Amino acid sequence: MLKLIGVETFYGKIKALHGVSLEVLEGQLVCILGANGAGKSTILKTVSGIAEAEYGSIEFDGQRIERMDADDIVRLGMSHVPENRHVFPELTVRENLQMGGFLITNGTTFSSRLEEVYSRFPVLKERDRQLAGTLSGGEQQMLAIGRALMLKPKLLLLDEPSLGLSPILVSEIFETIKDLHRSGVTILLVEQNVNQALQIADYGYVLTSGKILLSGTYEELKKEDRVKEMYLGEGKYVRRSRLWGT
Amino acid sequence: MNELFPGLAQEIVSGVALGCIYALIALGFTLIFKATEVVNFAQGELMMVGAYVNFFFITIFLDSLGFGNWPSFILALIASIGFSVLFGVFLDFAINKPLKDEPVFSMIMATISVAIILRAVVALIAGPITLVPPSPFGNSVIRLGSVAISTLDLFIILSAVILVSIFYIIFNKTRWGLAMQATAEDPMAAGLMGIPVKKVYRNVWIFATIVATIGGVLLAPRTLLDTNMGFLGLKAFPAAVLGGFGSIPGAIVGGVILGVVETISMGTLSFHFHWIKEINDVIVWIVLILVLMIRPVGILGKEEVERV
Repeated sequence: MLKLIGVETFYGKIKALHGVSLEVLEGQLVCILGANGAGKSTILKTVSGIAEAEYGSIEFDGQRIERMDADDIVRLGMSHVPENRHVFPELTVRENLQMGGFLITNGTTFSSRLEEVYSRFPVLKERDRQLAGTLSGGEQQMLAIGRALMLKPKLLLLDEPSLGLSPILVSEIFETIKDLHRSGVTILLVEQNVNQALQIADYGYVLTSGKILLSGTYEELKKEDRVKEMYLGEGKYVRRSRLWGT
Repeated sequence: MNELFPGLAQEIVSGVALGCIYALIALGFTLIFKATEVVNFAQGELMMVGAYVNFFFITIFLDSLGFGNWPSFILALIASIGFSVLFGVFLDFAINKPLKDEPVFSMIMATISVAIILRAVVALIAGPITLVPPSPFGNSVIRLGSVAISTLDLFIILSAVILVSIFYIIFNKTRWGLAMQATAEDPMAAGLMGIPVKKVYRNVWIFATIVATIGGVLLAPRTLLDTNMGFLGLKAFPAAVLGGFGSIPGAIVGGVILGVVETISMGTLSFHFHWIKEINDVIVWIVLILVLMIRPVGILGKEEVERV
């Protein structure tokens, strides 16, 4: 469904992605892991058209999209829930969802989608008329996901949906993601909660400084020492003095 | 008191009318600023161009084609709005598109250059002399008891109220209006919703040009047609700042307050005290400084809360 070949993205003169290739098949939940600044978010931004790929190709649903504007890519059936949620703080919850469904011109389709989102996240219905900026972090995340679901995307890009949330809310969000996956939405997920993310993912890519280092299923990645050390908290104990080379 | 009252009432109405024009200009650049973060220094010149174009159409319809008085004015207004749509598209193409993500300073210089170029081009085409545009109302006045109010002023106020209401409905109730607000708040997220951000920017420029043109059409019969009338746009700046820069109701409130203050000071201070004759040109700025000393964000401005 989504295929990146040799994608390179720059921020000014700084190269953020060094030839990233990855593939997401229809119905899969694929997870990108990596340290802060490895370029995980950049991959999503490049795919959804916020950042521009300088080199390489991106294919979505059989169409080349690397030169398209963000809003045209959305039309093809891809929704991106950006890092830090980015709800419209001065608009109400309902208006935010209305914006999520901006491309829907049919009134009945719109109200049925709205009902779907409300039944998935009942708290949004309660807060219907409230300004999105006044919601809690968890509610904002639900709104951000709900907003993206208004268009019934074929592919959903989720960037750190659990960022800054309490443990209970984190599991709630993961339940939602699992549920979406089960209902047939293809998902590309960026997460810092590596353990939880890998458990629900079909396939994972490990990214370091803009390059894909490893890829595989949870079982395969779990066996890799580097993954264990870096992300799963099973690394070996290193004497601090040795880190300083003394 | 009895003698003072009719004069004061007339001045307030006339001040509100002038304020409505400030408000329309302030509304235009508040809108552009909110949506695209560009401070458009050419907003006053857009108004000037609008007034000239309207004058041009009026002379065509009235003199060359020999239409009646009212049909000419209405047709000219429609034609001018048509022109401002095209002009707005052109400005978006010429200024906004190439410079959108460039440093703010480039953008400011570009809008100032546009202002100067427009003034020069209009002077070149229309000639540097001041023109006297016809008013559909002539010098007629409406009398309410002892108070005589110029029909033109009433018409200006009425038009501004209608225009602002239309704008309010578009901005708050329609799909495209909400998309404009969403783009103003977070252009990246708006793009991710499938909102065509570039089209929204273009619409904002079109809208700001239309508002400026209507402001010019309304102002021209009150003052005279002059290539320097765009400098009035500079007074719409303090209006926007006074109301709270970036706030749309603020632009309107600020505009009306400044209009009233200016007109009343002209009728009282300048009239009675000859040694401060030019006070009405200065008082706007004095009021601005006083208000900002008490409330630095302006009357309806929101205090920025930095989130950590």
